[in-house]
Amino acid sequence: MPLRPARVGRVGVIGHPVAKTAVVAKAVTPGPSPVAKTAVVAAAVTPGRRRRRI
Amino acid sequence: MTDVSLDQLGPVDYLVVEFPAGSSNFTGEMAAELVALVDAGTIRVIDILILTKNEDGAVEAMELSDVGELGELQALEAQLAELLAEEDVAHLAAAMEPGTVAGVLIWENLWAAPFASAARRSGGQLIANGRIPIQAIIASLEADEALASKGD
Repeated sequence: MPLRPARVGRVGVIGHPVAKTAVVAKAVTPGPSPVAKTAVVAAAVTPGRRRRRI
Repeated sequence: MTDVSLDQLGPVDYLVVEFPAGSSNFTGEMAAELVALVDAGTIRVIDILILTKNEDGAVEAMELSDVGELGELQALEAQLAELLAEEDVAHLAAAMEPGTVAGVLIWENLWAAPFASAARRSGGQLIANGRIPIQAIIASLEADEALASKGD
């Protein structure tokens, strides 16, 4: 079905061809241990879990 | 959109969610979660398109209103600003694999608008933003653990 006329002939907002985000695609693909990975990430964003070494 | 001053506008983001052939399972769960975010005032949906990329790479775009049963999305559809232009369709579809369907969502982060506005009033200028992939967090943690185990 065609786009609405209001979308035709206007300057777009995206500006360039979008590249597939490989990491995101990988993340949503069921891996060998998605539950374990979720737990690891949850631990990583827990307050006090890590201290910066700068 | 015209009754919102630019200073009050929150950051606008987009995403393209691809559904490979045969793997889509539309139960209405996505629509319900999207409507919940809108109802909570977290986001405002600006535009939605459905893209189809044929095996030969040809792209077709469909308005949300062209979808038969909108269900909970009916209320959202009436408020779309149609920000995307025809030329955006090709740009967004560049990320798609042939033989897939994708939903494109453009939204304003209402939750961020007051903070962004305050930052601007304070003289701040946004000079960078982005997203940290989960994989990067995992890699960082694994590197930490490897480093720690070396010290044992």
